[in-house]
Amino acid sequence: MLLDQFNFHYISGWTAVASWRWIANDENCGICRMPFDGCCPDCKLPGDDCPLVWGQCSHCFHIHCIVKWLNSQQVHQLCPMCRQEWKFKE
Amino acid sequence: MSTPARRRLMRDFKRLQEDPPAGVSGAPTDNNIMVWNAVIFGPHDTPFEDGTFKLTIEFTEEYPNKPPTVRFVSKMFHPNVYADGSICLDILQNRWSPTYDVSAILTSIQSLLHDPNPNSPANNEAAQLYRENRREYEKKVAAIVQESWNDDEDDDDEEEGEKS
Repeated sequence: MLLDQFNFHYISGWTAVASWRWIANDENCGICRMPFDGCCPDCKLPGDDCPLVWGQCSHCFHIHCIVKWLNSQQVHQLCPMCRQEWKFKE
Repeated sequence: MSTPARRRLMRDFKRLQEDPPAGVSGAPTDNNIMVWNAVIFGPHDTPFEDGTFKLTIEFTEEYPNKPPTVRFVSKMFHPNVYADGSICLDILQNRWSPTYDVSAILTSIQSLLHDPNPNSPANNEAAQLYRENRREYEKKVAAIVQESWNDDEDDDDEEEGEKS
């Protein structure tokens, strides 16, 4: 019989694996120096709990890192990279 | 205890070891990562050449959002260094950025030795001689270069590794 020439295998189950990464122009946060794919030193888990944020100047940091820096500045709130006034990119 | 400041300082130390800038070295003190000892070698083609100038760097838990306090321990004669060894350098005060690390701080101080700014003097005599009598300035600097070698002998035990 023709069908006997084929070995049929049935899939009994499968496990999906996915990976994600932030698309940023750098590997590490310039403030805490931790990888963007990790989290800031105040957080335990990377991802939505410790997101990245971009300024209008296009520089990018962990949101917790840049907010801490801006809060520590009394007069001007400048981008730590380019010293332009920091404005969150919409 | 691990805090954001301490973790950042561990990263700074790792970077300093993996990618050491020429002519500077630094390391945390044995029992306190918030206090570092550093050495800046006098840059070539300056009167500071061959000097081994020691500094201390003291960080707070607010680092890197606040700059550390950096001070020469070795005697210094420079327009922008006060008599107590503290340094008048904009990036350590109002132009600080949290993107700086120990490596950036030490190389900035090294370049300050190269290019003094006599318009904001911390040592009036040094600033005046730098502007008006360069030969006398260089003579005074040569004297502190010599003195910088003497400090090495005073505390041989703890600083031995930094001389080579």
